[in-house]
This record gives sequence, C-alpha cells and structure tokens, in this order.
Amino acid sequence: MTNSYVSSKGVSRKGGTFARRNLIIAAPLLPLLAYLTFFFFWPMFAVVVDSLKNNDHQWSLINFTTIAQKPYSTAFKNSILLGALSALFASIPGALFAYIIEVRGSEKLKGFINSLSGVLANTGGVPLAFMFIATFGAQGSAIKILKSLGIDLYSGGFTLFSFTGIVFVYLYFQIPLMVIIFSPALHSIRNEWRDAAKNLGATPRKFWTTIGVPLLFPSFAASFLLLFASGFAAYATARAMTVGNIALVPLVIGTLVDGNVQVNQANVGKSLAVGMVLISALAMIPYLIIQRRARRWQQ
Amino acid sequence: MRAKRLVVAATAAALFTTGLVVATAPAQAAGKIDYCTVQNLTEAGGMDALVTAAKKEGTLNVITLASGWANYDEAIALFKKAFGIKIVNDNPDGSSAYELQTIKTAPAAKQPDVVDIGATHLGAEASDTLGRSLFTPYKVATWNDITPTWKDTNGLWYGDYQGTINIAYDSSVTPAPTKISDLANPAYKGMVALGGDPSAATESFMSVFAASIAKGGSVDDIKPGIEFFRSLKQSGNFVTVPATGANLATGAFKIALSWSFNGPGFIAAAKGIGKDLKYVTPKDVVLKGSPYIQAINAKAPHCAAARLWEEFLFSENKGKFSKDLTSADIKQSGSKVFATIMGGQNIFNSGAAHPITEAAMIKKGTLIAPPAGFEIPAGVKVYSPTLDQQIPQQAVVKTMWPSVIQ
Repeated sequence: MTNSYVSSKGVSRKGGTFARRNLIIAAPLLPLLAYLTFFFFWPMFAVVVDSLKNNDHQWSLINFTTIAQKPYSTAFKNSILLGALSALFASIPGALFAYIIEVRGSEKLKGFINSLSGVLANTGGVPLAFMFIATFGAQGSAIKILKSLGIDLYSGGFTLFSFTGIVFVYLYFQIPLMVIIFSPALHSIRNEWRDAAKNLGATPRKFWTTIGVPLLFPSFAASFLLLFASGFAAYATARAMTVGNIALVPLVIGTLVDGNVQVNQANVGKSLAVGMVLISALAMIPYLIIQRRARRWQQ
Repeated sequence: MRAKRLVVAATAAALFTTGLVVATAPAQAAGKIDYCTVQNLTEAGGMDALVTAAKKEGTLNVITLASGWANYDEAIALFKKAFGIKIVNDNPDGSSAYELQTIKTAPAAKQPDVVDIGATHLGAEASDTLGRSLFTPYKVATWNDITPTWKDTNGLWYGDYQGTINIAYDSSVTPAPTKISDLANPAYKGMVALGGDPSAATESFMSVFAASIAKGGSVDDIKPGIEFFRSLKQSGNFVTVPATGANLATGAFKIALSWSFNGPGFIAAAKGIGKDLKYVTPKDVVLKGSPYIQAINAKAPHCAAARLWEEFLFSENKGKFSKDLTSADIKQSGSKVFATIMGGQNIFNSGAAHPITEAAMIKKGTLIAPPAGFEIPAGVKVYSPTLDQQIPQQAVVKTMWPSVIQ
C-alpha cells in the first residue's frame, strides 16, 4: 500500500522552487498531454461545437431547448437518480467493508480482497447484464431455485427489468469500486491518534464523531462522486437489459447517433453529451468546497 | 550490378508491354471505359467486360452486412467463388447510420463500394441534394422490374428486399403462437421480447407497428401497439431483454417478433446452442417493412466490382448456389458464369426476405420457393406503412415508449 494521497499532497506543497519542479514533472507527461488532446480535449471541443448547430449547420440553441423537454428531461432525471442511488447504496456498505478489511483483516486477506475487488469492479457491460439475466431474470436459475422452494419473486412484483433492477445490477461493480478507492483513505487515520484519543478518555464513539468521520468525510465524498459518475455514465449494461423502456441519457445518445428510426438527430445527441459533462462538472463543486475546507486542518 | 539489373528489367518490361499491346489489341476499347462513371451494363461494355474489369480490381468493399441477415452470407460466398473477388466486410453488425458516417468521414481506401441502408435514412440522408454527394447513379439490367416507389428516377438508389414481421418462438412453448394478439396469453408470462428499442431499431419499431394494426390501430396510428406492449409488461409477459441468441440460450425470452429475413440465420444459430427455434407468419396481420436500399458510393474505390455486385444482387436468375458451383462453371466466360449462378434476388428470397422484383419474378416463373414457415398465408392482408406514414409515428414512439413501458 502506498501513502494516502491526502498526506503526500501536504508534503509536495512544502517543496521549494515550484516552477522548476513543475517543469521536471511535466516533461514525461507530454505524451499524456498529447493523448488527452487527441482523445479528450479535441473531441469534447467538436461535440460542443456540433451541439450548437442545427441540422442545416447553422448556429442555434435549438438542440438545448429540445433536450430541456420530455423525453430528454426524463432521461436526465433517471440518469442522475441512477447515479445517485447506486452511489448511495454502494458507498456506505463499501466504506464499511473497506474499514473492516483494513482494520481487522490480515495482510493476506487484504491482498485477496484487493485483487477480488479489482476484478469485480471491472466486470461490466454486456457480460454483467447477461450474468444477472441468467441468474435473476424471469427464467433465471436463482429465481427458479427460489420458486422450487415456494418463493416466487416475480409474482411478488420483483423484476430485474426495471429501474430498481438496474440499480441492483450496478451495485455488483459499484461496491467493489468503493472498496478499492476508499481503502487508501483509511490510512490517514493514524493509530497514534486513536491511542491519543483513548488516553485522553475519548470513547470509540466520541473518537469517530469528532475525529474519524470528519477526517474521512472528504475522501468519502470524493469516492461517492466517482461512483456517481460511474453509475451516471454507464452504457452497455443498461443497454443489454432494456429495450428503450427506461430512458437514460447515455442510451438516448446511442439511439440518436446510431439509430435507424429517428434519423438525423446526432446533434441533439451531442447536446445531451454536453449536458452530461455539465452535470459531472457541477457534481465536482461540492467536492471542491469540502476539499478546501479539509485542507486547512490537514496541513 | 545494379545498373545491369536495371537494363535487364527495362528490356523485359518493354518486351512484355509490346506483347501485351499486340495480344490485347481488341480489348483496348473495353480498357478505356471509366467504370466510375458508367451508369448501366451497356456503358460498361457488357457483362464479360464488366466481370474482367471487376476481377482486375480484385476486391469489393461492403459494409455492415450482418451474418444471418437476408442470406447475405450466401451472396458473399457465391460472389467470391464465382468471380474470385475478395470481399471486405466492414463492421458487420453496424447500423445504417454507421454506413453513412463512414462514407462521409472514412479515408479513401476504407470507403465502402456499396451500401445497404434502411429506408428511413432516405428522407433525411439520401434526399436528392445529399444523395448526389454520397451516391453515384447506376441502373441495373433488371431496373424496370424494381417497384417504381422504391427507386430514384436517376438511379442514385434502389430498394433491394423487404422483410415481414414474423413471430419467432422456442418450439417448447405451448400452445404455439400463431397470431400477434396471442402474445397476451397468460401461458407466455416472462417469455415475450423485442429485438431492441423501437425508437432506435427499425425491426422493433415495425414490430410495435404490426401489434398496433393487430390491436385496432392502423398504418397511421401506432398507439394501440404501444398500449399492447404496456399491457404485456404489466401482465409480466413482456421482458425487456433484447431478443439475442445469448438471451434465448438462457431462456430469458422464448417468443419474439422479428424480421422474416433474420429468421433462417437465427434458426441456425439457435440450433447451435441446442434450441429449436421456429418462425411463423402471423395469421392476424402481416406487416411488410420498407425495403432496404442499395446504392453505389460516389467515392467507391472499386468501381467495376461495385457495379458487378449490384448486377448480381438484382439478378433474377434461377441458378446455382455456392455449394453447387463447380470449377468447370467458374472457368466459363464472365457472362456465362453470371448466367450460371443464383441471382441475388433469389438469394434474398432463400433468406426469407421478399426481393424487390418479386412480382416480376413470379410472372416470369423465376422465383424459387421461400424457406418453410415464411410463406405469407393466402387471404391475409399485407400492410406496408409508407415513409410519410412512419415519420409521425416514430415521433409518437419516441415520446411515449419510455414513459409507458417502465
């Protein structure tokens, strides 16, 4: 395990000649910068430009007035809700798992859980949807076993093919993702502090409410926002589980850019993409505020 | 050393060229034809000259010809075997939008020679002005047999085949469905699926359209179809998994509405995973979709091969499939090989698609029998919403579908 980023940031700040240091650091980053230019900045610029043009290639805000209305507004609502709910239901148990493993687990267990989480967090797309359909679909194996035991989930109103179903499937990769990204933050709670608090007569509860939670909160918030982004933007899994019945922004963009039914709508799709970028950017604002406040006493 | 070798090479080249000029003097006329501008077989110098020129190019670039779709697999295999021309198929599972995007943006060598696009793109993309910048006119020998509604008078584009919406079902399903309205049967709980999103995939859009007509709607009203699927979702019959082979394998769905021309391919794929899939033409309503559209790319890198491919796809010949084609057949002259092989229109028919020249072929007696189970039952009314009828209903699906079928 490397140092947590929280403490290493504090060290680099104190370093001397800022400019020269930056230059040395930046040189090897040039290929990365070129990569980002070609695959991030330039496409993003192109998307923004196209989103501001109508089908006759004239400047217009028509795409943005279009996406403010149904069904596009519903797609935004659903996607934000999906990102937020899957992040919420994943971040809390994920953080608890990470804590238990970090504090109680042996080194061997930690390594194992880390590798496992890495695999699970990267299981997504069509295979993930397929796994769940084969297990929890109407004719899925788990559903059939439960049925033979007298529990018929589908007649009880459960269905994998609903908004709730998608949230359920997303947790499969969101919880391990939380374990991976939140574990390093737990190093920032030093054992000496816990001992010091204990010596001064603080109960474990007092330690957590006044030291532990405030200390971990910025990292928790950052992790939450990362989970939000991953749930907000995921495409292939939701696509493999729905036939357009649940409007989600990434799926709608796919429909507009690549569909055969509604044609010549690619620019509306691009304005939806710009909308997604804006929402992701807005989601970063609370994080920045929290970070700024936290930095004051972390230094 | 180097100089000597050059002299030898130059002499050889000179001798070779002289010999070539003498030997091929009569063919010179054909050699002068610019195949990128010829607009019919006569201008192309006849079939022998076209085949020779296409063979010389050696390659044909096609795009998004999915395996199992309208028996394009056989068309590709037969063309390759008969003419010895390599076929490069870019992104077999791509969409029509991808085809048009590729023409607009791909580098010269990656340009497709020919396209097969959904008719819905005609309104927006292949309209006259834009069509001219994308496609180049060519009229195949069977031009007059193509339904006038589905061809550009200048020959920029032309329909090639149509599908009907059929019911695909796992043979284990009892009772076997025969009508679209049967899908509401409580015995089909958790079994009914669509190919995809009706606001994105033509097949699913047309499936909802067919359901609408079956449930009291019309070619001008798709709402009863959406309502029908809403009731199926509420009863638990409709599962929102795309009707793919993988989902069929796990039993995630057992009944789906599907293009007829996806049928033979899907049946074969299902057999491979141990499923006995059957197709039936619905007894309550037969919906025939708009045809797919052929066109030659204005930037086609293989102009002669592109034109030969179109002649082949629109040939009404009743000939040999690739498996029956002998090496003696292939050794014949270009025009004779062309006359020996099965025409593309019949190949589409063998793939459960309705070739665009079907009516003329029936009259001439050249149409082969479609695969069993795909015949349109006598006396059933066939509906075909026009593009003008489809466009307002597309907008209805776009707004209603996601809110209705949650």
